[in-house]
Amino acid sequence: MKRWVVIGVAVAATATLLVVYFKAFGTDPHAVPFMLTGKKAPPFKIKRLDTGEVVDSSAYAGQPMVLNFWSTWCGPCKQEHPVLNWAAQKYQGRAVFFGIVFESEEDATKRWLQEHGEGFPQLFDPKSTVAVDYGVSGVPETYFIDKSGTIVSKYPYPIDPRTMEARLAEIL
Amino acid sequence: MILALLASLALAQGDYAPGRAGTDPLDAEREARVQRLGKQIRCPVCQGVSIADSPSSMARAQLDKVRELVAAGRSDEEIYQYFVARYGEWALLSPSKQGVTSVLWLAPVLLILLGTLFIWLQVRKKPAAPPAAEPAVSTAAAEEDPYLAAVRKDLQQ
Repeated sequence: MKRWVVIGVAVAATATLLVVYFKAFGTDPHAVPFMLTGKKAPPFKIKRLDTGEVVDSSAYAGQPMVLNFWSTWCGPCKQEHPVLNWAAQKYQGRAVFFGIVFESEEDATKRWLQEHGEGFPQLFDPKSTVAVDYGVSGVPETYFIDKSGTIVSKYPYPIDPRTMEARLAEIL
Repeated sequence: MILALLASLALAQGDYAPGRAGTDPLDAEREARVQRLGKQIRCPVCQGVSIADSPSSMARAQLDKVRELVAAGRSDEEIYQYFVARYGEWALLSPSKQGVTSVLWLAPVLLILLGTLFIWLQVRKKPAAPPAAEPAVSTAAAEEDPYLAAVRKDLQQ
């Protein structure tokens, strides 16, 4: 009897460890959890850098949207910027693209855009309020929102053309 | 030296995350609550530091959000839920005592109780009786043994 109790406890402990191991296997231990997938995208009203007009996200209801959060001091943002410019041109009329610049100075951002090109509208988030509402945990991060306004996915790395097309296919 | 000069040049061009002072503090009582809540919320761009303790501009922005929610009269639970809704329970430096995370709080208590029970059972157990001394070879058996009989016979001679 006592022997079976010991075996039972050992099996239960091993099974628990195996469940924990396989559940976490292959995941990035440094990744910050993101819980807004499948939830409605938070609304925002912030200034567009080139025209100065205030952009209200509710004006784009019913259209798929790509939001790219970035900063001027972020090296990987520079690396992915041509991909975003390319995708914004290719999918023009099918999805709305916005860059949201936060943790940056307005003048420095304008200089950055003059140097690297501005293929799609860039919005300025001076107090990072929109970034906080969207649960941003670093830069760059790209959000894919479908026409019902639901966040379908977030890509928290510099995006490449193949990933961009795959993610866009999910919201178009 | 060259690196320092390059870094200075980059900073002069604005290639850095600008430090922000954050919004103005609330009155003393509500600001104390903002700081207390901020100490329980994990900074997403730091290593195990709360948003109240981190100097990063993202943490400042999140503390501003706490301040905004406190000013709007939200409860502690509602403010925690704002961050949990975005980052899950990971956002809390003290996991909640409900649901699956309650195991984290209960497991140590359970292990202490089990350990105490084990020690108590061991102490209560009667010590095992010492093993009986090996009986000497019985006389009868010795008498039947032909070799012993032969030895005795030889000794008597």
